[in-house]
Amino acid sequence: MVKLEFHDPSGTLEVTQPHAPRLASLEGKRIGFVSNEQWQAYRMLPMLKEMLEQDFPGVTVLPIDTYPQGNALIGTEETAAQVKKSGVDAVIVGNAA
Amino acid sequence: MKNAVSGVGLAPDAAMVTFPIPLFLPGSDLTSLKERKREFYDGLTRWKSEFAQTAGPAKMLAVEGASYEDALTKANSFLLTHLWGDGLPLWPATKERVDWILRGIALPRTHVLGKFPPRGGITTIETCAIALAMAGGRPEYLPVLVSAVDACLAAEGFDQLQATSGGPFPAVIVNGPIAKQIRLNSGFGLLGPDPQRPAGASIGRALRLLQQNVGGALPGVGTMAIFGAMRYTNAVFAEDQEGLPPGWQPHATHRHGFTPGTNSVSVVFASGVTNVRRRGAKKESPEEDALNGMWRMADFMRTPNLAALAGWEKGTPGIMMLPPIVARRMAELGWTQNSIREFLWENSRIPMAQMRRAGAPAWIEIDANPATRASISLDPWPICMNPDNIVLLVAGGGHPTHSYWLQAHSPTVEGRVIRVPETFEQLLAEADRDLGRGEDVHRV
Repeated sequence: MVKLEFHDPSGTLEVTQPHAPRLASLEGKRIGFVSNEQWQAYRMLPMLKEMLEQDFPGVTVLPIDTYPQGNALIGTEETAAQVKKSGVDAVIVGNAA
Repeated sequence: MKNAVSGVGLAPDAAMVTFPIPLFLPGSDLTSLKERKREFYDGLTRWKSEFAQTAGPAKMLAVEGASYEDALTKANSFLLTHLWGDGLPLWPATKERVDWILRGIALPRTHVLGKFPPRGGITTIETCAIALAMAGGRPEYLPVLVSAVDACLAAEGFDQLQATSGGPFPAVIVNGPIAKQIRLNSGFGLLGPDPQRPAGASIGRALRLLQQNVGGALPGVGTMAIFGAMRYTNAVFAEDQEGLPPGWQPHATHRHGFTPGTNSVSVVFASGVTNVRRRGAKKESPEEDALNGMWRMADFMRTPNLAALAGWEKGTPGIMMLPPIVARRMAELGWTQNSIREFLWENSRIPMAQMRRAGAPAWIEIDANPATRASISLDPWPICMNPDNIVLLVAGGGHPTHSYWLQAHSPTVEGRVIRVPETFEQLLAEADRDLGRGEDVHRV
């Protein structure tokens, strides 16, 4: 048998920060949306907001346009700082490509 | 989406709820959104990352076969099934082949160039050598590839260029003597395969493999490029500096300020390629032939290429290539590089009525750049802020009939000096031994 050894071409990944811890429950929590505002976000995200409000007592879902919207803005440090400052417990990112 | 999170240092297995494209079309049925609401709730409450990989040297992989040919076939199948191939035969990046390629650069193999977006794979000199080995490259190509990768990683919005549906591809323009030394094409067929000048195919293919394998630009998954043109080898070619008329500057000097004779790359992200039949057909005078051709080029450029808005202020609307024989004739008639760029800029302006008819102002209104948004008051609307934004090159075969327009989606045009090792002459001598003594010997 002939053995052929070669390098993995995919490069390594480096995890430098953990994902945010998950919430125990959504009840009574404040939830925001960060949206790139593409492809029917104006229909889908309000529907998701409504479902969250129906399913979880005491939940506060911020208006869809609370934070900057659009591809050019949702990934910026300024938007991240704005989300953090607003004191939400969780955000849902709407990112249609 | 996975690429987006891993590229910023998070584990790539983010909590996601994904939907197929039809759900996003106007008037679509949103029932499935209701049916899958639990997935959103679980993503916020129960989801856990299971990713554990950490950074380090590239892993070694292995296949076994009854013979070398069998093992080579299995290695190619392995690379394809792991989504690391492009459908063409690959050289497995063995230790011997990668070490050979690494002779082409003085930097250590562990030197980090950056994270390749959007996936965020750590890109070292060795990572580049692995891709070049797979693409059939040679050591003397490595300095050009490394400079091109460095320029790409520095390009504004490169993460979005990698992933966007318009499918821009890097066009790597090489200036300086290294182009001829490594057999890079600047003449006939410079955008295609050429056995006498094979460097561009290997370098461009290696760059594409890096974009896919390290950067995560896998069709339909990591890149939404709907058509994905020029994505086997991108476009890696040289400007024909010997063909520049007296007094004309090399592209790298005009655009980046590099001294003539400097080895360099300049990276434009192009989104299309268009042949322009430039030459006249009857009894035009030289002056008429030149002017008619200029109008025809401007006519091709006068389109609402909305992807080019990204480079309206600082980037470029595209690359216009003139064959050297045309550039020389136009220079004899008094045209200069500046007057050509100014003519093309002035005469590719689009009447705002046509822009409105095409719905183009809406895209200008939502552009992130204030200068671009302000351009909406201009009528006719210029396709870029200044004539100097247009990349004008002397390149292509010695034939006057056509010029070539590569429209762009290029927020910036990044230039890099190419550094070669002290042993470069030895590498070139070895290339002469392997491939023949240079293109002139083999010219058909």
